Amino acid sequence: MKAALFLAAVPLLLGISMLLGPSGIGLPDSSTISGQAILSLRFGRFFMGLMVGAALSASGTVFQAILRNPLAEPYVLGVSGGAGLGAALSILVGGGILGVAGLPLTAFVFAVITLMAVYGIASQGGGAPSVYSLILSGVIISAICSSVIMFLVSTADFEGMHTVVWWMLGNLQPGTLQEQLVSLAFIAAAIGALWMLAPALNVLTLGREMAHYQGLNADVVIKSSLLLATLLAATAVSMGGMIGFVGLIVPHVMRMLFGPDHRWLIPASAVGGGTFLVLCDAIARSVMAPVEIPVGVVTALCGGPFFLIILRRKMTHAWIA
Amino acid sequence: MPGSHDLKSPALAFRAVTAGYRNRPVLRGVEFEIAEGEFVSVIGPNGSGKSTMLKSATGLIRPDQGRVELFGREVGALKPRERASLIGVVPQRLESPMAFTVGEIVMFGMSASRDRWGSPGPKELDSVERAMIYTNVLDLKDRLFNELSAGEQQRTALAMALVQEPRIIMLDESIAHLDINHSQEVLRILMNINRQERVTVLLVSHDLNLAAQIADRLLLLESGRLVRNGSPGEVMEQELLSRVYGCELRVRHDPYGGHPVVTGALDSLLRRAPLRKRLHVIGGGGSGIELFRRLLIEGFEVTAGVLNRLDSDAEAARALDIPCVLEQPFSAVGSAAYEEALLMVAGADGVIIGPVPFGSGNVVNLELAAEALRAGKPVWMASGIGSRDYTADRAAAHAAERLNNGGAVEWSGIHELMARLERDVMNPQT
Repeated sequence: MKAALFLAAVPLLLGISMLLGPSGIGLPDSSTISGQAILSLRFGRFFMGLMVGAALSASGTVFQAILRNPLAEPYVLGVSGGAGLGAALSILVGGGILGVAGLPLTAFVFAVITLMAVYGIASQGGGAPSVYSLILSGVIISAICSSVIMFLVSTADFEGMHTVVWWMLGNLQPGTLQEQLVSLAFIAAAIGALWMLAPALNVLTLGREMAHYQGLNADVVIKSSLLLATLLAATAVSMGGMIGFVGLIVPHVMRMLFGPDHRWLIPASAVGGGTFLVLCDAIARSVMAPVEIPVGVVTALCGGPFFLIILRRKMTHAWIA
Repeated sequence: MPGSHDLKSPALAFRAVTAGYRNRPVLRGVEFEIAEGEFVSVIGPNGSGKSTMLKSATGLIRPDQGRVELFGREVGALKPRERASLIGVVPQRLESPMAFTVGEIVMFGMSASRDRWGSPGPKELDSVERAMIYTNVLDLKDRLFNELSAGEQQRTALAMALVQEPRIIMLDESIAHLDINHSQEVLRILMNINRQERVTVLLVSHDLNLAAQIADRLLLLESGRLVRNGSPGEVMEQELLSRVYGCELRVRHDPYGGHPVVTGALDSLLRRAPLRKRLHVIGGGGSGIELFRRLLIEGFEVTAGVLNRLDSDAEAARALDIPCVLEQPFSAVGSAAYEEALLMVAGADGVIIGPVPFGSGNVVNLELAAEALRAGKPVWMASGIGSRDYTADRAAAHAAERLNNGGAVEWSGIHELMARLERDVMNPQT
């Protein structure tokens, strides 16, 4: 029942978001040139939103499963911050020999380093790190990354500064077709690979030791899925900038709708995340039309209160569905 | 029968295994074999390495030295799925942070044996249902695991391990949380599959009596070493257990089953009248603190000296309100202090010499003990004074020899001393 509602809501919400834009509500007249241009702009944003949203929320789903922690999410863990630093460097310095893949790959490398640092700091003293130490070290590392970005921005030339700031605010302005295709390939491959790991992720929610006893190569699964989730987050950040909380809200809502089985949860999170971000973007560009607000502002306004609710419930109960 | 294991090899063998965490060995040179179909219990105090042994047996940690073998094959070389078909674990506590149902959790037990993507076939569903009936969790099938009581969660964990159909089942203190009827039930299930299907059971337990009652064999660990490996009768020895657990224990035999039963020595303490005995302790350098503690707990009055001010024993004596003769810091015991201590010894019922190093400054304290012997009072002397003698002319060693000839009793280890005091002073009639 819930699932059917979800399946009906997805095309409806996607359709609505095509009707919204700074130029007004409703489908533009496709017989005029300006109408065609608006339509193609909206299509571009639409696909960016789908890809980035799917990547962020699939990534959040996997972080939550592996770290057995309801608040794990690329933004909160500082992974997005690290990816952002890498992306900013790549924007200012250029992709070098990597070409169009340079931006997402640099973001990925920095995100992996950040994740290792956050996890390493949080697990000082041995054992699995607690929820609170993970969040705390995530916040610290994020702060460091953003101040380094600020430094880079303040020393950059005018054009670089403009690009980085605009990108950092979080916006889904599509890049070149080539860039989009590379990102699409990364995201599709990573989500597909994670989906293959879904049954293993299910067992891993019982903890690394139990997964080992159940005949899983636990360390290999943990490391590869953390890397894949980081790749998703890094690609999303390099495409759309710092968009927070999508990876937190959507997986939780999907778990309430579909249960904790990752064979369903991963595709549902991808679809749900894409839809959610497309919708947020539609709101962002139409609510103060003709001025656009960054989509990250909308997701943060939805996500912040949600985060607090989960944190509260985490303190009283163990975990919410 | 899963796997192509060698039936002639022991189900589980530890061959000189040293293992631990980050190069800090917990197990040291542990060596034993368990034949298929045995019911073995691992006992030992907290921190003796029971959990590390379990983790080594399942390949969760690799030994630093030695080999762990399952049915003759090194556990680290087994494929993960193969390993899971040989050995299953019921953990101390199973935790599922996500909202999986009991039925789904039990189904995870099949992770190794079936394709994890397809939906389960009728044979697999039967096996799951059988395990859930056995463990009495079938009614809970659609309930959320994390809403169950601790006992229900443990039975679910057992069902998951049974579904795995391993040749060895290990339980890590898994029944500690269960009330008596459920722990009995779980044990019955284990004994049943042990007898009917020759599944080897390894039960890590804090409950010595339970272990002695149901296991064919006990492995006793002490600080990472296997100190005894044998039948319950061979392992449940009063002296051995008292030493390993560091407290007074009694071993009796159960009047019905005949198996050994261990109890604490509290009963003798409860029935005992106030002691009204005073013992004088010759300590120093921290050697006396444990003596003070144990003697006070047993109800003795304690005096001490001669000690130097600022010595850790002197500080402890002050904190514990123990009357004590003191000398200036870093000074040899003078005659005034010695005379005062002699008076103290005259008021005591016996003298205990702790494992304290002797130098020219404090060797005169041994004369206090000699005086006590002359007055017909018992002296208990920590053995090995010769190795702690730092006097130029081996005065302490010679004094110890004289004390020995004069009737002083030697002891090594606080447990032995307390046992002697128990026999000679606290309950002299028995």
